Amino acid sequence: MSEPGRRVGADGGRENRFWAGLALPGVVWLCVFFLLPFYVILCVALGSLDPILLTPAPEWNPLQWNTAAFEFVLDNLFTPGAAFETVFVRTFFYVLIATTLSLLIAYPVAYYVARYGGRWKGLLLVGLIAPFFISYLMRMLAWINLLQDDGWVNSVLIWVGILDAPRNWLDGRASSVILGLVYGYVPFMILPLYAFLDRIDRSLLEAARDLGASPFQAFRLVTLPLSTPAILAGVVIIALPMFGDYYTPDLLSGAPQTSLIGNQINLYIRGGQQVPVGAALVVVLMVFLTVLMGYYLFATARAQRRLGG
Amino acid sequence: MTRVRTWLGNPWAKPRFLVLFTALYLVWSIVPILIAIRFSFNEGRSRSTAQGWSLRWYTGDPDASVLHDPTLHSALAQSLRLAAIAVLVTVPLGVALAVGLTRWRGRGAGTARGISLATLVTPEIVMGTALLLVFIELLTFIPLGTVAQAIGHITFSIIFVVIIVRGRLLAIGPEYEEAARDLGASRLQAIRLALLPMLIPAVVASGIIVFAISMDDFVISAFLSSGTDTDTVPVRIYSQGRTAPTPALNALATVTLVLTIVIALVGFLLWRGVRAARGQTGSTVGEFAALDAEGVR
Amino acid sequence: MTLHPRESRYGRREFIGRSAAGIVGLSSLSTFLAACGGSDNGGSAAELQIASPGNPVTQPLFDDNPMIASGLEPESGTLRIYNWNGYLDPKIKKGFAKEYGVKVEETFFTTTDEAVQKISSGAVDYDVFFPTQDRVGRLVLGKRLQPLNLEYIPNLKNVWPSLQDPWYDKGSQYTVPYMTWTTGIGYRTDKIEKTPLDYANPYEIYWDEANRGKMFLLDDGRDAPAHMLLKNGITNINTEDPEDIALWEKELKSLYDMNVKVSTDDYTNIPEGKAWVHQMWSGSAIGAQWYLPEGVGTDALGFWFPADGVGTIGSDMMAVPKDAQNPVLAHHFLDYLLDVKNGYSNFANYVGYQPPLTKLDPDTLVADGVVPKNLKTAIVRESDFDKGLPLTELTPDGQVNWQNAWAEFRAGV
Repeated sequence: MSEPGRRVGADGGRENRFWAGLALPGVVWLCVFFLLPFYVILCVALGSLDPILLTPAPEWNPLQWNTAAFEFVLDNLFTPGAAFETVFVRTFFYVLIATTLSLLIAYPVAYYVARYGGRWKGLLLVGLIAPFFISYLMRMLAWINLLQDDGWVNSVLIWVGILDAPRNWLDGRASSVILGLVYGYVPFMILPLYAFLDRIDRSLLEAARDLGASPFQAFRLVTLPLSTPAILAGVVIIALPMFGDYYTPDLLSGAPQTSLIGNQINLYIRGGQQVPVGAALVVVLMVFLTVLMGYYLFATARAQRRLGG
Repeated sequence: MTRVRTWLGNPWAKPRFLVLFTALYLVWSIVPILIAIRFSFNEGRSRSTAQGWSLRWYTGDPDASVLHDPTLHSALAQSLRLAAIAVLVTVPLGVALAVGLTRWRGRGAGTARGISLATLVTPEIVMGTALLLVFIELLTFIPLGTVAQAIGHITFSIIFVVIIVRGRLLAIGPEYEEAARDLGASRLQAIRLALLPMLIPAVVASGIIVFAISMDDFVISAFLSSGTDTDTVPVRIYSQGRTAPTPALNALATVTLVLTIVIALVGFLLWRGVRAARGQTGSTVGEFAALDAEGVR
Repeated sequence: MTLHPRESRYGRREFIGRSAAGIVGLSSLSTFLAACGGSDNGGSAAELQIASPGNPVTQPLFDDNPMIASGLEPESGTLRIYNWNGYLDPKIKKGFAKEYGVKVEETFFTTTDEAVQKISSGAVDYDVFFPTQDRVGRLVLGKRLQPLNLEYIPNLKNVWPSLQDPWYDKGSQYTVPYMTWTTGIGYRTDKIEKTPLDYANPYEIYWDEANRGKMFLLDDGRDAPAHMLLKNGITNINTEDPEDIALWEKELKSLYDMNVKVSTDDYTNIPEGKAWVHQMWSGSAIGAQWYLPEGVGTDALGFWFPADGVGTIGSDMMAVPKDAQNPVLAHHFLDYLLDVKNGYSNFANYVGYQPPLTKLDPDTLVADGVVPKNLKTAIVRESDFDKGLPLTELTPDGQVNWQNAWAEFRAGV
């Protein structure tokens, strides 16, 4: 399929400018309401505080940027045992565990629907898409109801005999928060995984079986490598937003020991602490995520090269 | 019993483990919602134990029901308002952006594409902070509240429109417009008459997605809210859920869910109608689910 | 000189102080305590005066922040209130709305820090705000509150004389009192084995292992540390001594093993059984009775406050933010709440906190059935203010140090 714009000659430039012009309103919007705010964050982080009201005083002139907030954040971040370091490490591990668990749940489901959906595919997909239309908070609310002292989880566990007495699941456990994150984010991983897996060429698998591979070997040697881009995409789609999650720990726990980097940012930006510190935290988080994103792009490119592009 | 044994022992049947796993997942995913909906019809105040059936929290209770509590139905109104604005602005903006980005060649295009994708992987708290600070410190003529929240919703939804439309665009190809141009149409006319009609399914799908995302949004709406009057449903659920929640909250969530589903269904049926008119076959739902993968490339 | 990132140039405490000063700017060092009250320089370099009962302060008035003129008609817009949750009876709002033919809308904040930040940012305009004593000086200096025209608030005469002319705002120029309270320890008598009274040092109950996961402190960066200080016999709960700050921070962190949580919804956490022990405001103890589930009586509630009265005490105020859209209406609302009938109804039916109205006799509250007998300790009298410890304002540096230490605790390190 030929792509327009490759036309050489007098018309080529005008053609290109036309398309650029079409994209212009959107690009301008994103520049004003996405890029510019990042510069504002930077200026607030590198600004100062009004001494009385402790309101932020952003510094617009790069020559007069004040690095005190960054020094505070970075020092706190790299000193073992300090607040930000602990929270960051904790967030990293929660996200890692939650993402892995999500992958372990999402992959089989997506695989099943993609390969074996058959007649039920439409219905199954509706079931998979449904969580998109149910507000995240409503799903969390539903879980909180179930996890309360007199809720179903305790009732069922006691009836089955695993528990003797109702256990308080909402008292500040890491496990509740991590499982909450999994419950909340898994649907967002399943659809991209499904979309990618659906596209895998069946004939490759059949060829492998014809060559004598067992079903498991065919999976391991053909399907799994082919789904690497899918897995990477799914991981990125849920891990990156998860790093900024603060409401899941708030709802399912409320204790300081499960507070994540998102909670710290929320505390500094909206909870009345020093906003420049919060802004600096945001910048550090974004740098970290950009590095992760860069790794994802590199890994995807490498995987695609291996698979023949 | 023999039937089950035959089913279990059939080596050509679909892998039993996967069937079970998927079934379990669907149950785990959906059942808590159904339970929450059940409790919204509770007679008593509990949200975890069944206490009869009534419409108390929807319409009956004179203080706390969704009908009577002003904070609850104002939240619903605000959510719908923002979702409507988001769809009306984001879809045209996003379609134009998608078409432009797909066809535009050059370094600027690559950067623009990168910027759009960046909104996808930016955590909401980062975007919320960014927008909050920009409205407080720089663009102070934009007050917090509906305007600010709408801007936030549009900004983070636009990439979804771009992804969906771009995917469809790449599949369609430029032949139809080129044919129209050959027949004498200007570029704009070619787009309007040849391309857009083919894009309608993608446009409708992206409209549904933007609507759902906007209704679901929490962080941006919370950060840019100016007070109770501009709180949306998720914000209300969050703040009231942590203090003294009643089943009215479940009722509010249920009403929101029903409305979202209704609107999504309307859009979906529209889309199916358009496809049928075109003679396209195949599962509409499948096409819907596959839309996002194409556009990310 | 390059340092390894893990080698901090300073000890952590010093670093906090230094970088705080760095962020705040050297000017903070010059805005130090003014020795005597009554600064009448309404200019830009006004200094923050730290008010205390022994050092009453007349807040400065500024030319560019005038009070509204007298004799104006109340506006007809929507009255926007910014308040704690559960701190204002919806019936009062309805009554006011009906009487003045307006709409009343209330937005909630959960912590003082959050509220002050929002008001300070100037990003939102509310008509009525409920500040606490320890922030009034700043809000005035930052011109976030407008001076009140007391001609609209004749009901101010219903208030305790000592609070009509309080030490934090002499002449009630910017604020009028709303509710008085003490900070004690609330508990469920039916759930815990040992009450604070069973301990030699009652504050030790926070460390009772039997209550792990059911123990709450107030989500307040001044109240929670205050109890840690009092546990150690330090009665200056407004101390800025770095050692004291480090001490309360350490004490708070030792509570992590208890899975301690923080919340300002003490008035629902205790009755709902989410908490068995809760650092609690006295009004919440009384108000909790209205949030009890069926089958649980008011005898399940308990409240402890030091018998010698040496505990945290305070009063909250009402004020009108500078950018209020309906200032005249706001003044009328303040007056409405200071009416004895409304104030009593607000207290006795919904809020549980006591308004400092002279006609409200604390001694009859138990007999009238408003306060359950076992919660007698939660009643506040004017004389309690003689021995009680109010939270006063902190200097800018002190405020930053307290906030940093509090944020560290909230990080769950």
